[in-house]
Amino acid sequence: MTHRDDGPRVLKHPVCSRLFHWGLIFGFLPAAFTGFIIWYKPGSEGFVNLAMKIHIVGAAILTVACVLYAVFCLDRVAGFMRRNFAWDDRDVGWLLVGGGYPQKMLLGKKIPVPPMGKVNSGQKIFGLCLLFFGPILIVSGWILYAFIPVAPKELIGITNTVHLLLGLYMGLFLLVHMFLGVYNWGEFKAMFGDGTQPLAEAADHNPLWVEKDIEPVLGRAEASDYQKGL
Amino acid sequence: MANYDYVEKAIKVSRREFLGLAGAGAALLWAGAYVTTDIFVDRTKYIKLRAAGMYKDDAKAKIRQSHNNPAVAEMYGKFAGKPLSPLAEELFHTTYVNRAKLGGKS
Repeated sequence: MTHRDDGPRVLKHPVCSRLFHWGLIFGFLPAAFTGFIIWYKPGSEGFVNLAMKIHIVGAAILTVACVLYAVFCLDRVAGFMRRNFAWDDRDVGWLLVGGGYPQKMLLGKKIPVPPMGKVNSGQKIFGLCLLFFGPILIVSGWILYAFIPVAPKELIGITNTVHLLLGLYMGLFLLVHMFLGVYNWGEFKAMFGDGTQPLAEAADHNPLWVEKDIEPVLGRAEASDYQKGL
Repeated sequence: MANYDYVEKAIKVSRREFLGLAGAGAALLWAGAYVTTDIFVDRTKYIKLRAAGMYKDDAKAKIRQSHNNPAVAEMYGKFAGKPLSPLAEELFHTTYVNRAKLGGKS
């Protein structure tokens, strides 16, 4: 759809979520990139050692960001979990047509897609992966960082394999997330801007969310008429 | 300052949900710590048993020093000359590898 910047706006990503997202960018992104370097070792020993140092710093930023978000934004975490575990027939329909993305990207055709809430079914799958695999990736990484000299070799071997496979999987997932994030330009502008999105755009992309989960800001009640008209 | 007309409804976390989340987190941490501790305790047990077995074998052995071992003395006499000879150095001594760094030898 076209990206309109006029009309009423809705706050889609509050400050704490945007800050957490920056934490993921400065933490997970360098950790994922250097993780591939450590795995594949494309350069000299010094280069790989530098990559390992960046990997560890990235992991520390990622860990701190996750802990702070879980402690200070527990309501956002609860909302994230509720959304990701809420599945119904619409999700099956959405997945069957791939959210309409293949048709839109390859054929330039817009097909009817089941209405979605704040996140679509693909994002729910990504969210569930983050929820389950993220903590395992972080914990296995710190085990490899701290316990290699003292832990049994079998445990370290298993931890290393799990860390590698999950890192590979989530690193590839990240590429898809970044591509679709840029493709949905309004979403990109909301996350990297002030967190707001034109209501009309949100209604097109997240109709159930606009219908059920948002409310007018106090003192801006006139906007609710606009919402009814959508 | 962001200017917006709509906001997401507040997400309320009930006491039941909070306790559920906290309980699941605590259970995971406890189980992880228990399993890890168990692995370390087992490993320490094996190391202690192995060390005890070696001390026991050593105490029972007739020859307890390598320089008193006739087989070692014969090997040096017929083949490697004397300890730390060039041939012994070449065959029996290893080199230092810094394994703190990645990427093999340094």
